[in-house]
Amino acid sequence: MKHVSILALLIALVSTGLVVVFQNAHLTPTVAATQALAVDDLFKLEFSIAAVILSICLVTLVYSIIVFRRRADDEGDGPPIHGHTFLEAIWTLIPLAIVVALAIYGALVLADITRAASSQPELEVKVSASQWSWRFEYPQYGIATSQLELPVNGPVVFKLHGTDVIHSFWVPEWRIKMDAVPGMETVLRITPTKVGKYKLLCAELCGLGHAFMEAPVAVVEEADFLNWVKAQPK
Amino acid sequence: MTILFSLGIVRGIIWGLASGGVAAGIVMAIRSGLGLPMWSPGPVTGVAALVGTLGFLTGLGAFNYWLEWALGRQKEEHHADQPRWRRYFGFDTNHKTIAIQYMVTSFLVIVVAGIYQLIDRLEVSAPGMQYISPGTYNSLMSLHGIMMLGAVLLGVSGMINYLVPLMIGARDMAFPHLNALSYWVTPPAVLLLLVSLPAGGFDTGWTAYPPLSARAPLGMQFMLLAFYLVGWSSILGSINFLTTIFKMRAPGMGLFRMPIFVWTALSTAILQLIFTQFIAMAFLMVLLERLLGLVFFAPDKGGNVILFQHLFWFYSHPAVYIFVLPGLGVISEVLPVFARKPLFGYAAVALSSLGIAGGGAVVWGHHMFAAGIEDVLRVPFMITTLLVAVPTGVKIFSWLATLWMGKIRLDTPLLFALTAIVVFLVGGITGVPNGIVPTDLHIHDTYWVVAHFHHTLFGGFVFPTMAAVYFWFPKLTGRFLNERVGKLHWAVMTVGFFITYLPMFWLGLNGMRRRIADYDPTLGLGPMNMVATIGGFLIALAMLLFFINLVVSLWRGAPAPANPWRSQTLEWQLSSPPPDENFSAPPRVVGPPYGYGTPGSIHAVVAPAGGTANKGA
Amino acid sequence: MQHPTFIENRLAINRTGLWLFIFSDAFLFAALLASRYYLLGVLRPQEVNQPLGLALSIILLLSSLTAYRGETAAIYGDIRRFRRNILFTVGMGSLFLVGVGVEWAEAFHSFPPSTAYGTMFFTLTGFHGFHVLTGVLALLVVLLPGQKKRLAAGNYWGVEAMVKYWHFVDVAWVFIYPTLYLVS
Ligand code: HEA
Ligand code: HEA
Ligand code: CUA
Ligand SMILES: [Cu+2]
Repeated sequence: MKHVSILALLIALVSTGLVVVFQNAHLTPTVAATQALAVDDLFKLEFSIAAVILSICLVTLVYSIIVFRRRADDEGDGPPIHGHTFLEAIWTLIPLAIVVALAIYGALVLADITRAASSQPELEVKVSASQWSWRFEYPQYGIATSQLELPVNGPVVFKLHGTDVIHSFWVPEWRIKMDAVPGMETVLRITPTKVGKYKLLCAELCGLGHAFMEAPVAVVEEADFLNWVKAQPK
Repeated sequence: MTILFSLGIVRGIIWGLASGGVAAGIVMAIRSGLGLPMWSPGPVTGVAALVGTLGFLTGLGAFNYWLEWALGRQKEEHHADQPRWRRYFGFDTNHKTIAIQYMVTSFLVIVVAGIYQLIDRLEVSAPGMQYISPGTYNSLMSLHGIMMLGAVLLGVSGMINYLVPLMIGARDMAFPHLNALSYWVTPPAVLLLLVSLPAGGFDTGWTAYPPLSARAPLGMQFMLLAFYLVGWSSILGSINFLTTIFKMRAPGMGLFRMPIFVWTALSTAILQLIFTQFIAMAFLMVLLERLLGLVFFAPDKGGNVILFQHLFWFYSHPAVYIFVLPGLGVISEVLPVFARKPLFGYAAVALSSLGIAGGGAVVWGHHMFAAGIEDVLRVPFMITTLLVAVPTGVKIFSWLATLWMGKIRLDTPLLFALTAIVVFLVGGITGVPNGIVPTDLHIHDTYWVVAHFHHTLFGGFVFPTMAAVYFWFPKLTGRFLNERVGKLHWAVMTVGFFITYLPMFWLGLNGMRRRIADYDPTLGLGPMNMVATIGGFLIALAMLLFFINLVVSLWRGAPAPANPWRSQTLEWQLSSPPPDENFSAPPRVVGPPYGYGTPGSIHAVVAPAGGTANKGA
Repeated sequence: MQHPTFIENRLAINRTGLWLFIFSDAFLFAALLASRYYLLGVLRPQEVNQPLGLALSIILLLSSLTAYRGETAAIYGDIRRFRRNILFTVGMGSLFLVGVGVEWAEAFHSFPPSTAYGTMFFTLTGFHGFHVLTGVLALLVVLLPGQKKRLAAGNYWGVEAMVKYWHFVDVAWVFIYPTLYLVS
């Protein structure tokens, strides 16, 4: 019993420490979209759970090999413990509960980040990905460009497709990505929340130029956006 | 010279080259007869490769047995007295020979694949294009992936081949000739993989997604053919493993008396038997699309690119459990011996392998969360994916409980097993954010995933294999590996591993995509990439130590007794190395495999070598 | 036998292996059938040659019957009846292959391999045809003169294996036929 209490104490200490570290280290890039906020909350929860599980296992392991090391002249065996039904039930059922809860939460967040905003009309942007460039079409304004410009705080719906092979649309500050697939249209919804310059990266291997398949992204104030639209050739 | 020509492999190579050449000639003749241009690299090399492989096997003598059978002759099984080393270069049907052939091939492939990726690591250690072109980067990276995974399949087959018959008290595999055939289709496959690079490489990654793979250079075709061959090796191997486990257990060896490694071999073999067909078919479809103009995956002609991904992952997800289950079995074998305690929760650990295999069969969609599949598919796949954590957790917790209160001896095999547990745990835990759709949409196709799977692969295969080699080397050879060098190898490898792969989690979260030869310097990813590269070279150094230790110990290692670790499982009750026919009489299994701590508990009664079974013993 | 104390039931082992092989091979067709439904749903062009398809199915079913009779004859040691039935099976199998050839020649015009339906049609019939071919060859092997001794000695494992494989090829067609000719 003495061992168990010491172990519990150590696990509590280490896991608290790890949770604090994971919550405060800035592990993900800037948050620049409402979707990113929801995803980051989920990340934080996952990291905390990971911290606890890691601590339980690592502390037990290290404790065992330090405390239960064989003494130099001891050729005997350990106690013949073959199992413990209650313990085994615990470590089956608790993880089960955790993963089910995580799945439910994950599904809710997924619904959240894929839902169309009801309060505001969405800006539609048709994105064509080709080896190795991006093209953006704004049907509501009748313009097409090679750089992405968006008004801040306005919901955007991207309709993606690939013209040759599969590409993938990813702006790390917005978190969620979606493939641009030849032969079908995929949808991604983003509401940018931070004015600034970002980079759109192609995240699916698409051949020689994959590493360099980027496009500039600018999120600007609504008025600047309208000016930019006017300045584009029709 | 005559010695050389009497080696099966030499005859095989001659036959292979000759028949491949003839086949190429015939294809070209037919083409010119049809009025096509005579030389077209795809069809000519494709047919030559397949026919050459068959020729190689024929020359090797792989089909002699069946030929004799078909002609109605009963061939006498005689083992000509030949020097020991020669059997490794011919069509030998002893499972222990085949196992060593598998392992050596596996290690060779790992070295090549490792060096490929080290070159790539140098390239990405800092932003900007330094040493190689993006095309070379992509080819090396793709070959690294596919060759490593091929090597893992070989290594897994090797371990199963050596251990399963010994552990269940059988004289050999159920179908020894089929077993040798399963091995011998892999050298041509390895050759094809090696040829792929000079033939233009391919820039699709190991996943070979069309439409990209339908347009990739000729190297692609070699890779597809090679993996097709490896796939058949896998399927034929699994038939052997399953039949052996079902039908050839020694008297008294009930299912729940089998060592855990046999359980994991069983689960692995079931997965191989069923799912390998799907990747074989997926790769064949790409080949047919490339060679014959079929349109499975051509969206403009009614094909569908997502179909490939379903077929591919329907195999390749279960495959990741094929890769790791035997390794997890090795951990379960090593822990009780060095903790001197029975394996905690034997039945649960045994069944958890089947649970992982069964659960793992229905999660493949989690690789396609960002591929444009519907939400009604994404959510169920998320749930099934996460459920696999439960049986995996059972294994981890049972291992920890096995260590608890034990009398732990920190010898090299245990050290590797412990690293394996930690690494696999980190790999598994970092699979959870992958499995949850919204977070996966951020980390998909980034270095987070690269870090995740190197953790699971090292934790589930590489480190357990090291543990296995240090543990069973005395059994294989009758000599110990050097313990000092072993501990050094372990330390360098463990440290090198974490230096390589922990930074990759951070890199992935912060915008480092996978499969890129270069990245934007403004992202600030340079320093961590440099750290990872240094770690990669540390792993290579550790591997170098390992190989030196292997070679030197092989002829100068301290002699090992039959059962140096005082283990209770069957293979240790035989001499080191075991006799050709393993057991002179069927062993009688009388107790559980890990009866440590119970005085007088034994697993099985084995007749002394050369004698007959003593019923009363 | 050097080790009389090892009693391995060869026949049971062989049977297990064969069943596992067939089980695995079935997934090859499962993959193809799944692909066909994934790509095309239940779409089917009008041009498929219905009478020929039906004829092929009947031929194959009949051949399975004679294969079965051949196996039974072999078990009872009636070598002549065995040879007659297996020869008949081989003939039916070859006829089936000829039929597939005719069907292919037509298909090249009505739905060439460069269309989605053509792709699936040629792949399914191609893979099945390959299995029929190997089945015919396998059956020819048990007819080889050298095999006689074995049969006479009551060792009919070879016949059993080849015939089982033949039934499997037949069952595969039972799934392929409706997929290609009937659903819509
Ligand atoms: C080789 C072995 C291997 C293993 C064992 C695993 C195990 C797991 N993998 Fe991994 N995976 C790969 C190899 C492996 N993977 C490879 C090669 C790829 C990339 C392929 C490519 O694209 O090239 C990949 C990619 C990959 C993806 C796709 C990522 C992407 O591309 O976006 C996902 C998504 O769900 C995933 C999830 C998981 C999960 C949930 C597990 C689980 O099985 C892990 C379960 C284990 C644990 C969770 C730890 C132990 C459990 C406990 C201690 C209990 C308590 C735990 C909880 C309550 C959570 N993996
Ligand atoms: C078991 C499987 C396995 C193993 C062991 C490894 C081992 C290593 N892997 Fe690999 N890896 C994969 C499986 C594996 N990998 C897969 C499946 C992919 C995905 C590919 C894809 O995206 O399609 C991948 C991708 C991958 C990437 C991502 C590439 C990209 O996306 O652009 C990286 C990046 O660093 C990497 C690094 C390494 C390194 C540094 C090692 C090192 O550990 C290697 C060390 C070993 C050696 C070097 C060999 C032995 C050395 C000697 C005998 C010494 C002599 C040699 C010298 C001193 C030079 N791997
Ligand atoms: Cu486009 Cu990668
Ligand atoms: Cu997976």
